[in-house]
Amino acid sequence: MQKSLANNSLGKKLIAPIAILLALGMPLYVRGAEYPLMLACIIQLYVVAVSGLDILFGYCGQISLGHAAFYAIGAYGSAILHNNFGLPILFTMFVAATLAALVGAVLAIPASKLVFHFLSLATVAFGEIVYQFIVHSPGGITKDFNGIFSARLSIFGFEFSTYRLWYYFGLACVIVFLTAKYFLVHSKTGRAFTAIRENSHAANGMGINVRKYKVMAFATSAFYTAFAGAMYIHLVGYVHPDTFLRKQSVLFLTMLLFGGTGSLTGPILGVISVELLIESLRVLQDYQGFVYGILLLIVIVALPGGLFGGFKNVWNLLAGRLGKRRGGAGAC
Amino acid sequence: MLTTDKVTVKFGGLTAVNQVSVHVEAHRITGLIGPNGAGKTTFFNCISGVYRPNSGSVIFEGNHIEGKKPYQVNRAGISRTYQIINLFKKMNVLENVLVGMHPRLKSGYLSDMFRTPSQRREEKAAYERAYEWLKFVDLQDHALDPAGSLSYGKQRLLEIARSLASTPKLILLDEPAAGMNSKEKEELDELLKRILELGVTVLMVEHDMKLVMGICHYLNVLSEGKLLAKGTPSEIQNNPDVIQAYLGGE
Repeated sequence: MQKSLANNSLGKKLIAPIAILLALGMPLYVRGAEYPLMLACIIQLYVVAVSGLDILFGYCGQISLGHAAFYAIGAYGSAILHNNFGLPILFTMFVAATLAALVGAVLAIPASKLVFHFLSLATVAFGEIVYQFIVHSPGGITKDFNGIFSARLSIFGFEFSTYRLWYYFGLACVIVFLTAKYFLVHSKTGRAFTAIRENSHAANGMGINVRKYKVMAFATSAFYTAFAGAMYIHLVGYVHPDTFLRKQSVLFLTMLLFGGTGSLTGPILGVISVELLIESLRVLQDYQGFVYGILLLIVIVALPGGLFGGFKNVWNLLAGRLGKRRGGAGAC
Repeated sequence: MLTTDKVTVKFGGLTAVNQVSVHVEAHRITGLIGPNGAGKTTFFNCISGVYRPNSGSVIFEGNHIEGKKPYQVNRAGISRTYQIINLFKKMNVLENVLVGMHPRLKSGYLSDMFRTPSQRREEKAAYERAYEWLKFVDLQDHALDPAGSLSYGKQRLLEIARSLASTPKLILLDEPAAGMNSKEKEELDELLKRILELGVTVLMVEHDMKLVMGICHYLNVLSEGKLLAKGTPSEIQNNPDVIQAYLGGE
């Protein structure tokens, strides 16, 4: 009885492993083709980044329009630590992400007093500050508009030299980060996040230190997105400051809203659909902002729960119809 | 158990609560009544930390708690419900109670994220205890429904279960019977007695005089921010000042 209360129906439990199995086989289907594999790698790291944003926005209800800044801290941080100090790459990825989490926490301490558009303005400003820092490159640390190069991923001397090999690393990251997210949101901490989103006054009254949990949500979210940034630089090998313009933050948010907030599946659906859409509309590259705008409008007007919410509604509708028909047959 | 000493709250030029001193005896149901706008909810907000009193003190079990934040007051052992229902509407009924248990759960950020064995054990026990609380208020059949889908009266019961889940020593109920039908009110009356049996002291604001006079051991009457009278229900019923405040006239 208690098991069933922990909101895990068997169907829900099966979806994730099946998806993972399909994903594992993916390099086999596209044998030889480099481009789809690279796209799949990008999608994986975006899934990590957007899942992080979901912890903050989908679960804790705090908006951020500055997540490109954390993405940048992860990418530059890992590259600089590796290039200048020769530290092993996986280690630098974690250090850079931890650094971003600390920056996120420091940002959140004053920002946790802000709500709605005030918070979004503060996070826009934060994104801008980090961008300006990279562009002006104090002490030449980020090499301003030249961008910086870094090595491809290698762990204990094993080089992930092809997209195919990197793909399995990316998949492992997705599994680890999504599992941690699942554990976190279905726990005391995650319930506190959701309670703050639903009603922060009542959350405070129930003994939740609202500010502390907002800081935690910001830091966790920053860690995820920064780790994705570190994945990015060791996949592509090069970053340019213009990767971290505000439109990158908007892209993360568009993916999240389009896929659906507050779930494991929503961000995955959002990243895949938006990324594929953008790739297939390469000719419209100058109009990316326009495309994001249309996607957001679709979500706001027609699909308030995003793609995942829409699928769930259709599923419930079908299940309801089927249930009724069966019920009717039983009565006969 | 709880004593307030000359608590005053001002909003600009308006004095909402004026030098109110009340005493709440342990293991009793104490009522706080008064006409609309008398300052009852403001007074509650003062105790629970939503407002900081402009002057005066709130002493709970020998400790000053005035000016503490709501979550700190909750941890000190005072839990509350709200006049305007303040549930987490999109969370299910059981999760609402689990949030209520928040300050009593020991797991932390990392043990939650890595789901350590001790965290797992605690969660399992927490789900069972939360379910027991739902049985206590007879909402066990709605455990997995979204809180926002419950009827008004049931939402009030869930608010009570959620605040009991933090195992408070004192519970503040702000108009628990509002929006309940007469059958639900009878059940509430019986529920209040069971809360008392748990060893939880009750301080409640309520307009339903039948309920208040029947169950409260002691009453405080507020009118226009001031403490008008205090005493047992029968003393209050015969107090000319109270009669005048409620019925008006000479």
